[in-house]
Amino acid sequence: MKIEHRITISNIFNFILIIIIIVTAFQNLNLVLTKLRFIEIADDLNTSFLEMRLDEKNFFLYKDKTALFDIQYKVDETIHSIDTVKNDIVKAVGENNLDQLNLDLQDYVKVINEIQLHSNYDTESATKLREAGRKLREFSNTIRSLERKRVNGIILNSKRILLHSSWIILISALIVGHLISRKILNSMRAIENLALSISEGNFKTIEHIKTKDECGSVIKALNFMSEELKNREEQLIQSKKLASIGVITAGVAHELTNPVNNISMLAQTYIELYDKLSREDRIEFMNKVEGETDRMKEIVKNFLDFSKPKEPLLKEVDINVVVKKAFKLMQNMLYISNIESKLDIDDTLPKIYIDENQILQVIVNLITNAVQAMQKNGKIFIESKLSKDKKYIEISIADTGKGIQPELLPHIFDPFFSTKGEGGTGLGLSVSHGIIKSHKGNITVDSKVGAGTIFTIALPIYNKEKEEENG
Amino acid sequence: MDKHKIMVIDDEKIVCDMAKLSLEQEGYEVETFLNAEPALAKLKEEKFDVVVTDYKMKGIDGMDVLKTVRTSYPETKVIMITAFANLETAIEALRADVHDFFPKPVKIKELKASIERALGAK
Ligand SMILES: Nc1ncnc2c1ncn2[C@@H]1O[C@H](COP(=O)(O)OP(=O)(O)OP(=O)(O)O)[C@@H](O)[C@H]1O
Ligand SMILES: [Mg+2]
Repeated sequence: MKIEHRITISNIFNFILIIIIIVTAFQNLNLVLTKLRFIEIADDLNTSFLEMRLDEKNFFLYKDKTALFDIQYKVDETIHSIDTVKNDIVKAVGENNLDQLNLDLQDYVKVINEIQLHSNYDTESATKLREAGRKLREFSNTIRSLERKRVNGIILNSKRILLHSSWIILISALIVGHLISRKILNSMRAIENLALSISEGNFKTIEHIKTKDECGSVIKALNFMSEELKNREEQLIQSKKLASIGVITAGVAHELTNPVNNISMLAQTYIELYDKLSREDRIEFMNKVEGETDRMKEIVKNFLDFSKPKEPLLKEVDINVVVKKAFKLMQNMLYISNIESKLDIDDTLPKIYIDENQILQVIVNLITNAVQAMQKNGKIFIESKLSKDKKYIEISIADTGKGIQPELLPHIFDPFFSTKGEGGTGLGLSVSHGIIKSHKGNITVDSKVGAGTIFTIALPIYNKEKEEENG
Repeated sequence: MDKHKIMVIDDEKIVCDMAKLSLEQEGYEVETFLNAEPALAKLKEEKFDVVVTDYKMKGIDGMDVLKTVRTSYPETKVIMITAFANLETAIEALRADVHDFFPKPVKIKELKASIERALGAK
């Protein structure tokens, strides 16, 4: 389910709950109002009855006959007002009680009429009258306290409902919120990890996308992007490789010119002097041709070694041979760019375990960068030597080019970082860095704007354990 | 009449050998050098009619040889051979008054014809 739907559903749930609470509260309020009205009626009755009792007292104490009329009048009035709010009273006290009240009132009137008729009021009729009056007052009191109790009950109930429903709303909001935010956070975490790993150049994808919600779509989009990036990078690395092959091909083509020229001259002279040549001379000519084809085969073989995509293959290698090979491959480029070069090799270096072709690629990349950083008439110094702590072999490639601005230095090993626009893929140093790291080595740079740049690669010298591991 | 003297400078031994063999067939006196320094030293002692030099060599290169010869020994013609068919070097060579300019692989017949023209123009 989509998160949006979940939130909507939880909102609808809470909304319904709130409506229910409002309706009940409203009903309760209405109930309280009716009950209050009953209490009012009961109060009115009470007052009327109280007044009747006062008149009663007046009559008995002061023999005031008008008090009896007064009572009669009040009784009529009360009956009348009971009649007008009869419905309410029925609702409040029930039909039976109302009948009882009417009966009581009639009783009361009867007693009063008797007293008036006989004009005598013995103690018996006085007690009767008092009894009837008391009943009336009792009645109204009972109603009043009953209704009070009910009102209190209703208020208490409303309070309870409000309290409980706010608990429910609070808890439901908390649970739904928690569930949703947990889901979002989990997805976010997965997405964050994916994004991080992508930015580190590790183009994996998030497997098992269970959720069909928004996060699921984001993850799907990211997976797609990651896959695309992976494809693109593979293509770019391939094209990078093709580019360095291009540089090297030029070197190879140049290297081939000399043996081709030699064979050509041997053939031309051979034809010209054929009749004058002895058998031995002719054999010697052909041997020379054969020698030149061997030389060509060697050049082409070196090139094929380089261009073949291979798993890193660690072999015990004399690093100087690799440096010289790279230098030779780059001769043509250095020459065309009119760059002076100096090779300074330490012949006493021990052999190390490296992948020759990969290290060759690194050195070619570094020399290519150096050449590209210089105008004509620059200088390149290539040096191999032992590090100060004697644990590494260091190869440095120094140029007198334009240098690298300090603020760019942290980025030059990033994949795709290039200041050469169309002219560079920005993969040269990134690939080189990867290769040197996989050799457990280091690649460092020191540069001064306008003065030049020096790249140094340090490759570890294998020790006894490594030797045993490999042998 | 004295034999015409030709000097060949190339760091490829086969080029020197073949040029010598073939040019001697034409009746020239040929001397070869694998690098430029001894060749320039030799020019101080002896006069050559034509110098055929490779362009790209270790140490002193073909362009240096051309410039030195054309300024110090204007009588001597220089033919340059190069593996680079590079317009800029060609222009530089022309400015330094090169007699001819051949890319590798060299056609010996064309080289001979060029040498003949160089000798005839004297
Ligand atoms: N020797 C150097 N001198 C000056 N700047 C350099 C040097 N080496 C590298 N840089 C800078 O580092 C950037 C990255 O180099 P990197 O080799 O990774 O890519 P690139 O050379 O631009 O492209 P590519 O190698 O794919 O052709 C270059 O664009 C350049 O700005
Ligand atoms: Mg580069």
